[in-house]
Amino acid sequence: MIDLISIALITLGGVLIGLGVHFIPVGGAPAAMAQATGVGTGTVQLAAGAGLTGLISAGFMYNFLATSGSFTTSDFILVLASGAVGAMIMITVTMFIGQLVYVYCVGVPPVSAKVDVDPITGDRQDIYVSKGTEGHGVPTVSFVSGTIGALFGGMGGSLVYVQLMQIGNAPSDPAIVALAGIFATGVFYVNAVLASYNIGGTIEGFHDPKFKRVPKAIISCLVASLLCAIIAVPIMGGVS
Amino acid sequence: MIDPITGLGIVALMGALATIAGAAEDLESDVGSQSNPNSQVQLAAQMDFPHRIFNKAISGEPPAYGLWCATGATVASVLLAQNMSVIFAIAIGSLAGAILLGLFSVTAHMGRTASQKRFKQPIYMDMVIGHVPSIIAHGFIAVFCIISFSYIMDHVLSHPFPLPLLAFLWGITAGAIGSSTGDVHYGAEREFQNQPFGCGLNAAYSGNIVRKAESGLRNGIDNVWACAKFGGPVTGLALGFTVFFDNWRSTVFSGVNAVIAGLIIVLILILANRLVEVQGRKAYGPFKDEDGGAETA
Repeated sequence: MIDLISIALITLGGVLIGLGVHFIPVGGAPAAMAQATGVGTGTVQLAAGAGLTGLISAGFMYNFLATSGSFTTSDFILVLASGAVGAMIMITVTMFIGQLVYVYCVGVPPVSAKVDVDPITGDRQDIYVSKGTEGHGVPTVSFVSGTIGALFGGMGGSLVYVQLMQIGNAPSDPAIVALAGIFATGVFYVNAVLASYNIGGTIEGFHDPKFKRVPKAIISCLVASLLCAIIAVPIMGGVS
Repeated sequence: MIDPITGLGIVALMGALATIAGAAEDLESDVGSQSNPNSQVQLAAQMDFPHRIFNKAISGEPPAYGLWCATGATVASVLLAQNMSVIFAIAIGSLAGAILLGLFSVTAHMGRTASQKRFKQPIYMDMVIGHVPSIIAHGFIAVFCIISFSYIMDHVLSHPFPLPLLAFLWGITAGAIGSSTGDVHYGAEREFQNQPFGCGLNAAYSGNIVRKAESGLRNGIDNVWACAKFGGPVTGLALGFTVFFDNWRSTVFSGVNAVIAGLIIVLILILANRLVEVQGRKAYGPFKDEDGGAETA
């Protein structure tokens, strides 16, 4: 009998990753030239960087809790929280340092071109957009959105990893750890790339009109993650 | 279990290694011109601006560095299993990763430039000979430092992931950070020093990159010279902070407290970002009057 709960949780992890990517403000190549709001890199690149940092944190926490006694539901939640916070630290540090480059090196104010007023700070945005650009830097609304995105992405990646480790049921076995880690990375990339296609290049965060495309991404990530889970669970030994 | 003071020292060492790795990673991508700013180098020849900038977008930096670091760490793991000393094993592994980077650089540069023959962009052989050693050298430093702190994490802090997987994941993170922070200095400032400072690059100027250097024609070595003054160091800080903060909280605290400590760090960074945002708005804007009408110059 195949383990349906594990398949459901791994699928949920994939959907969380897909959802999280939509929150992360990425401006792609135009942002690297201060022509668009957001971080100057690709959607998948930044989401994967943050989510996989979260995976490293989650691996640390899972190893600590699972090898020191029974692994309870509260431990499960703690590992997910640790993964989410690891991803949030990476993305906030990256966005903050990126902001320093925009403000002190390139000489542009952080501004959104998609809204006239920042929904969080209430600052006027449209008059700070320089000529011929689609905004630049990481305004507060995008910064907060990115942090939320990392929370979902880190949590989703950790959920996939922890569930695979639970199926493997051998927290100290390096082969099981490696298999679960690389599968979690794979599921992360599958969903990040899918979400990236849905975004189509650049997004400023949850205030961007493109964010309304999220339902489509959730459906496609659900299908893709389900397929990944159906392959992963038996390989990890989840068939009895 | 190591005592907290030793643990903090180890985390600080990892942070220092990550700082060097981040700086070297970004500077390598500036010598060779990789990642998003390279779109302008690629575009320049097509816009009738032939140049002497090295052009190697092998792939996005995160997967590229994931590959170099995983390769290096795999070689190092094999040598460690043969009881070779740690430093030598990591150095030889890093050399393997750096040579792979050099090989990809040559093929990527020649392939990309050859495809631009119709735009009359020449392949300068002296550029290949001059740039590739610098790319390999920067790449070696970055890969060596990433594998080193991954090794410390794996063998001293007892992280459950095997060394190659850990180096792979940190390589991806290093590439993501380099691509998001230091490359903006290269793309938005150094490539377009022919535009007024702080203008925000008008899309109409795309491809019109600076092609003349302080002396002679500009190349990747000139670019890394400039980017080493800001973009490289801040990229190092970003990777160093990420590695340090993430490990510091789980070394000093445990369980829920480690999560709370992480959230406090995130909150502080959100507030710090707001301060920088306010300062930037005061210093540079607005570009139009309050009605959104005429430009204020």
